[in-house]
Amino acid sequence: MESKGGRNCTAIWEAFKVVLVKDPCSVLPSDYDRFIDLSRHSIPRDKSLFWENNHLLVTSYSENGLRFLPLCSVLYGRIGDFLSWCRQENASGLDYQSCPTSEDCENNAVDSFWKRASMQYARESSGVISVMLNGSEPSGAYPVKGFFADFEIPYFQKDKITRIEIWVMHEIGKPKVESCGEGTVKILEERLKKMGFQYSCINDHLPVKLLKCVDHSTHPDCVLNSAAASREIPPLWAEHGASHIVPLLVALASAVHM
Amino acid sequence: MANHRFSSVSEEEPCCDISKKTKICLCVFFGLLIAVIIAVPVGILMWRHPLKEWKGKGTTAHFYEILLGRCYTYTQIVRPELGHKDCQKIGKAFTTAFLSKDPCSCTEQDYQPLLELTAQTVPCNKTLFWSKSSELAHDYTRVQGDLFTLEDTLLGYMADGLKWCGDPRSSEMNYQSCPDRREDCSNNSFSVFWNAVSKRFAEDACGVVHVVLNGSISNTFDERSTFGRVEVFNLRPEKVHQLQAWVMHDIGSVHSDSCSSSSVNNLKRILKERSIAFSCQNNYGPIRLLQCVKSPEPSSCRFYV
Repeated sequence: MESKGGRNCTAIWEAFKVVLVKDPCSVLPSDYDRFIDLSRHSIPRDKSLFWENNHLLVTSYSENGLRFLPLCSVLYGRIGDFLSWCRQENASGLDYQSCPTSEDCENNAVDSFWKRASMQYARESSGVISVMLNGSEPSGAYPVKGFFADFEIPYFQKDKITRIEIWVMHEIGKPKVESCGEGTVKILEERLKKMGFQYSCINDHLPVKLLKCVDHSTHPDCVLNSAAASREIPPLWAEHGASHIVPLLVALASAVHM
Repeated sequence: MANHRFSSVSEEEPCCDISKKTKICLCVFFGLLIAVIIAVPVGILMWRHPLKEWKGKGTTAHFYEILLGRCYTYTQIVRPELGHKDCQKIGKAFTTAFLSKDPCSCTEQDYQPLLELTAQTVPCNKTLFWSKSSELAHDYTRVQGDLFTLEDTLLGYMADGLKWCGDPRSSEMNYQSCPDRREDCSNNSFSVFWNAVSKRFAEDACGVVHVVLNGSISNTFDERSTFGRVEVFNLRPEKVHQLQAWVMHDIGSVHSDSCSSSSVNNLKRILKERSIAFSCQNNYGPIRLLQCVKSPEPSSCRFYV
């Protein structure tokens, strides 16, 4: 990652610590303002990657910030990634047993952190914005109520963004619940249109699909053309081509008869 | 009166009227004076440049904090089954191995306590070696979560990408410079560490093990690499019955059968002598797909539809 040198990690930690003494259900996004002030940094143009329901895929695909810089790869996002924290309810120490979820209370330390971080990340994004959604998610690819919908889209800077590219990815071998132009994806597209953004939508964006296939390399949907060629199976005889053989033979037979 | 004056000039014995005791005191005094005259500039020089200068890059800034942080990240998040490991103790054992010591006289013994504290069982059939293919091998284990390169084990994860060395005249780490393996000395704290952990990684391997090799360079199997020098020779034939090589070629390059190249045959021969079976595959599918993610070149990286 490019040098974010000169950052005082001790000062950043001191700024973060303030939430650890607060009542676990009274932590607001604004409680992280000082922390964000000290840890924020600019995001290179065209490198922002927003997502819903594919955390691990995004982490793998972004290659630690080399290809893309999602929230979990910027300094303030990296600090909180995969962690949870809260103060004990009736004592001053940290609670290592359990922490309130959004169902317990809205103003919990972790949710407020991600709300604040998401707002910052969206504000600092520019150029082409990429969004990776999960089209095999049963509840819909675009959660109408979620971090992306409520704490990122509203903070997009219209004058800094050229266009928005949506990738609807599907799990290999699983049903395609939604694709571009369908269901919640359509809701997202219409929202962006209404806000005046130029957008496009791609189903199973190739580089990401190639990555998903690494774990499913033998699945028919993951066979590369070069791999098929090297197996010396003439295309006609492969699975998909079998249905063309019969009509071809019939045509040949009738030609011979003539 | 003239005689008296002349008699003192023509004196044969020098300082004959100073007592022996005074002579000794004077000698000691001048001796100390000379010592101080020499010591003060040397002391100033040493205070300004207290540590030896080497040809290689110095210890990584914030080395200890990074080491500890990585230990906690690994044992609490990456592999929580190792949550019982004591990171404070591990950090201490790491620095004790090289602090206040001559960085050119390092031995594997120095790292023994550290190795013991960080012992880890890699499941059989899950060990992945690599040689001249670091990026690709690590991209693969990042995606394929249950394979382990050395850098996916606790100690490898902690030390990856870091540099360190100490100095016999100080209890501090040398942040200015560290010995370069070729230009200074080969038994340096850094090289000795990686040889020791690579050796253990190979010794611990069991079942069918794999290696990612680079078929687009001439020395696909390099006998001078850590894999060729250390790992191959420390596989235990009673535990490891086969090594499978995945030889990857650059995307878009002309297809060649590096599995039958002389360098790979050399590897096969060495393993045979050690009673370990060998198999080889060119452009192993899943890793090929990874290469395509990086450079989705149309002729090699389109799905067959």
